[in-house]
Amino acid sequence: MIDTVAPTDSTRAQAAAERPAIAIHNLVVQYGDRRAVDGLSFTVPAGAIFGFLGLNGAGKTTTIKTLLGFRAPAAGSAQVLGYDIVRDSQAIRARVGYVSETNSLYDQLTIPQIIAFCRATSRRWNGAIVDRYIRTFGLPPRARVGQLSKGMKSQLALSLALGGEPDLLILDEPTNGLDPLARHEVLNTLVREIAAEGKTLFFSSHILTEVEAIADWVAIIRDGRLVVCDELDHLKQTQRVLKLTYDQVPAPAEIAALQALPAVARVEQEGRGVRIVARGDVDALAQQLQGRPGGVRHVDAVNLNLEDLFLEYMKDSSEGQQ
Amino acid sequence: MIAKELVDARWKAIVGGLITLAAAILITYSYVWVQSLSATLDRAPLAPADRAALTASLQNFDLWAWANWFPKNAPLILVPLAAVLGGSLIAGEVSKGTIFLLLSRPLSRDQVLLTKYLVSAGTLGAVAGLGGLGLLLTAATIGHPQPAGGVLLSTLLLWLGMLAILGVATLLSVLFADVLRPVVGAMLVALVAGLPGYVPGWQDWSLATYWASRPAYFGTGFPALEIGVCLVTAVLPAVAALLLFRTRAY
Repeated sequence: MIDTVAPTDSTRAQAAAERPAIAIHNLVVQYGDRRAVDGLSFTVPAGAIFGFLGLNGAGKTTTIKTLLGFRAPAAGSAQVLGYDIVRDSQAIRARVGYVSETNSLYDQLTIPQIIAFCRATSRRWNGAIVDRYIRTFGLPPRARVGQLSKGMKSQLALSLALGGEPDLLILDEPTNGLDPLARHEVLNTLVREIAAEGKTLFFSSHILTEVEAIADWVAIIRDGRLVVCDELDHLKQTQRVLKLTYDQVPAPAEIAALQALPAVARVEQEGRGVRIVARGDVDALAQQLQGRPGGVRHVDAVNLNLEDLFLEYMKDSSEGQQ
Repeated sequence: MIAKELVDARWKAIVGGLITLAAAILITYSYVWVQSLSATLDRAPLAPADRAALTASLQNFDLWAWANWFPKNAPLILVPLAAVLGGSLIAGEVSKGTIFLLLSRPLSRDQVLLTKYLVSAGTLGAVAGLGGLGLLLTAATIGHPQPAGGVLLSTLLLWLGMLAILGVATLLSVLFADVLRPVVGAMLVALVAGLPGYVPGWQDWSLATYWASRPAYFGTGFPALEIGVCLVTAVLPAVAALLLFRTRAY
């Protein structure tokens, strides 16, 4: 099942459409004959902390690289902060801070030298922010970049990205390979610096607990296609699991009847129980099931965390492909 | 960005500069040593005409200096330096992953490549200039002062010739993601471009004929053709690299 941007709540959809930090329309990016991004469309509202999720090779990094002008799209279009990604790539990069998935800092430079490089190649620069974060992260201020640990390099990369006072920060796996303490520091910094100033953060991550901790919007992609894009709270509210317990093992006809109900995304039989993945008005569905003839003893509604939601969407899209 | 490029190129420049300077000094002082050997030429089993020609050439320091520096030893040092400098310009960034930091800056790709290319071209010019200066100074110390204008013009030509190798290496550096292939490729191109010089009647097709111009050194004619050929061969691969880099996906 493929959802588009928050279709159920017009005000949220309107807010996203009015001031989008990123707007992607049917974007296609190819590596030779293979489509790494295949007709991707979604919108990132300005001011959002937006988690961009997907399995390895789903097309997250390719999408990010295309937004920044590292690759040209084969079809479709996208705007970042109102600028076209093909025509105005330089203007985009002037207002966007970016931290790549791999360590992309110059190991041969010292910290002051890499700061000077970033300052010289930025349109605007706030040295005080960089100095503050270098102190906050406890980075040795005159060290050579190559001497820093992986975590320190990530913290330095983030400090440098923030130094350009970006309106949008794009981070590709920002906490990849960091220990829990460094991860915590990085996430705190992001929330403090970005959310407090109403800037937009667009980040990809494999660590769903950290996405859940800070993101207010999420998009999930698979094989270069959008699976879902919605506000995280709304997603959790409108997608839950209902566990039905029957007096006896339900007949196949009952399972088929459940599957046909509105708001039922998937039905899985587990002995005398049935697990229903429901999307939409889950409370109404639960009430409807409670009073249903056919031996339903009771109905439990289970809230899903982001990891559960992610797995459910991955199952859905696998079934869709089959 | 220039400062960062200078930091990147500093060891190549230092090593290249020291080798170039040492080679220029050695060529000058080897003349003194070879001259001392020429006293033994009378006893060498040579035809009288050959003996006379050899003796004449050994008595002409200017010819000795030019022949040993501009067509021979200087390119032997500067070609690998140009290949290494150009070969690592973009491929070095790609192989280390630093290309993403570089491309995320609000600079056009033309700015990125041109800055890198010009810093490398400047480094190459400084190293070539150091060799020329070494030759001038040491020649003066052994009592054979060389024409400063000739050394300058020949060094300029040599530098322009090396820019062709730098351009090819830069082009290959945009094309490949590793440093080795651009470096080896550019050196092979230099070898092929110089090969016709060893074939009788084909000297005009050798790039080395133009970057090591004898009339330029001895002031017997302005090397307009040589400058033109070296300029064209320098500009073409650099422009091709620029066009390719504009559309390259990373």
